[in-house]
Amino acid sequence: MELIVALGLIVFKVAFLIAILLLLPLPLTWLERKIAGHIQQRMGPMRVGWHGLLQPMADGIKLLTKEDHIPAEADRFLFKLAPILALAPPFVVFVAIPFGESVSVLGHEITLYVSNMNVALLFVFAVIGIEVYGVIFGGWAANSKYAVLGSLRTCAQMISYEIPMGFAVIGVVMLAQSMSLLDIVRAQADVWNIVYQPVGFFVFFVAGLAEAQRIPFDLSEAEGDLGAGFHTEYSGIRFAFFMVSEYAIVLLVSVLVVILFFGGWNGVLIPLPPLLWFVLKVAFFVYVFIWFRFTFPRYRYDQLMAIGWKVLLPLSMANIIITGVLLGAVGAP
Amino acid sequence: MSRAQDKVGTWIGWAFFADLANGLALTFGYMFSKPVTMQYPDKEKWLPYSRYRGHHFLKRDEEGEIKCVACELCARICPCDCIEVVPYEDEKGNRHPAKFEIDTARCLFCGLCEDACPADAIALGQQYEFSSFSSADLVIGRDDLLAKPGKAATGGGVVAARLNTEQGVLVKSSEQQGYNWWRNIRRT
Repeated sequence: MELIVALGLIVFKVAFLIAILLLLPLPLTWLERKIAGHIQQRMGPMRVGWHGLLQPMADGIKLLTKEDHIPAEADRFLFKLAPILALAPPFVVFVAIPFGESVSVLGHEITLYVSNMNVALLFVFAVIGIEVYGVIFGGWAANSKYAVLGSLRTCAQMISYEIPMGFAVIGVVMLAQSMSLLDIVRAQADVWNIVYQPVGFFVFFVAGLAEAQRIPFDLSEAEGDLGAGFHTEYSGIRFAFFMVSEYAIVLLVSVLVVILFFGGWNGVLIPLPPLLWFVLKVAFFVYVFIWFRFTFPRYRYDQLMAIGWKVLLPLSMANIIITGVLLGAVGAP
Repeated sequence: MSRAQDKVGTWIGWAFFADLANGLALTFGYMFSKPVTMQYPDKEKWLPYSRYRGHHFLKRDEEGEIKCVACELCARICPCDCIEVVPYEDEKGNRHPAKFEIDTARCLFCGLCEDACPADAIALGQQYEFSSFSSADLVIGRDDLLAKPGKAATGGGVVAARLNTEQGVLVKSSEQQGYNWWRNIRRT
């Protein structure tokens, strides 16, 4: 009986997570267009619903009713597989992400995470790595020059930025003495990691921007020179899959930044419910992502590679060494 | 000395991304500035200046008789040949147009007809909303031209208005002048 309840709870949590992740791109697209509009002294969507609130619904209906076009020379199997491969990893990663300790509902303690893996961080990076397959299959299968060039760029970018991203979190792991995200947040109860790991945060955030394919690192879909990059040939609902995956990764990087460097659900000064603190911090970083997008121009491809290999990688390695030496000499804070 | 200090300051700024921070501060400021959008068909409408050359209209004199004497000078001077006038003589012996047609689909709104008119009978008015699905509808006859709105007394401004396809434009504003749209534009 207990097993059934536990299983049911897990199924419920997973279903809830999937629903949230599928629905969140709707308000996020609205927010992005609104912020873009106001930064450029426009108003953004205004006509569908109150201040354009129903605009994402209209977009969704449009995407669903559009022709699902597959190019004649495309590899049909890979072409259909790629959007799913791009969409699944960001969803899978959220299984390992804690959103808080626990809440009590009707006298039962319900934990706010699906599973507390002791190698959660490793799992996160391993699964995010799979997303590259969606990109490379999508670009290759479409049999279009724009798409192939876009996917080549994206693969090189994602692979080279995954390394500094992975190195940047080692300092955090050393401080928490654990790779479980829950333990990492618990270790930040008094002082957030941003105080001890500013360089780690910087490297992680920049690499996260590149990982999420956002400006200033959105080389994969540089509209000016590549059409739309690896998803040039996609239309209708398959294109929507790529969009949802993009927003899920933006969300994921924001969540990881908050958990690893900004104390997760630990609050400061104002006593708010932990979950609310968590949501507020994540919302702030999502806003920063959008804000960056409409402020900075795009880096050139060689600059992108130079930043990844010549700046972020040495910085993250130095961060590991200095953190290790300080931990050995001074001891844990 | 101060030059060296400047250099050090530049390097410190570079290391802490002062230029990127400046850019972010600028866009953040813009985010809370007033949008310059004129929500034209939905909420607002631009009132043209009185010098604006919109849809033509024909004038009447004090007795309500049409001013036009059907001299056809406007038809002659028209660079796109879009005015067609057919004269007739009324019972008093005055010459007036029996037919006065302007093909607004061809008209380029240069205002030469207004300049050429010896009787001050035709002018270009304030109206600018007369698009149509059929170019045949754009040929405007004499009686329609007499009914068109005239020159704007004041103008140059935005007033609250709502475009309704059945009732036309409803302008509901107490201030004739409207607010100055240009003041919203942020210049730095």
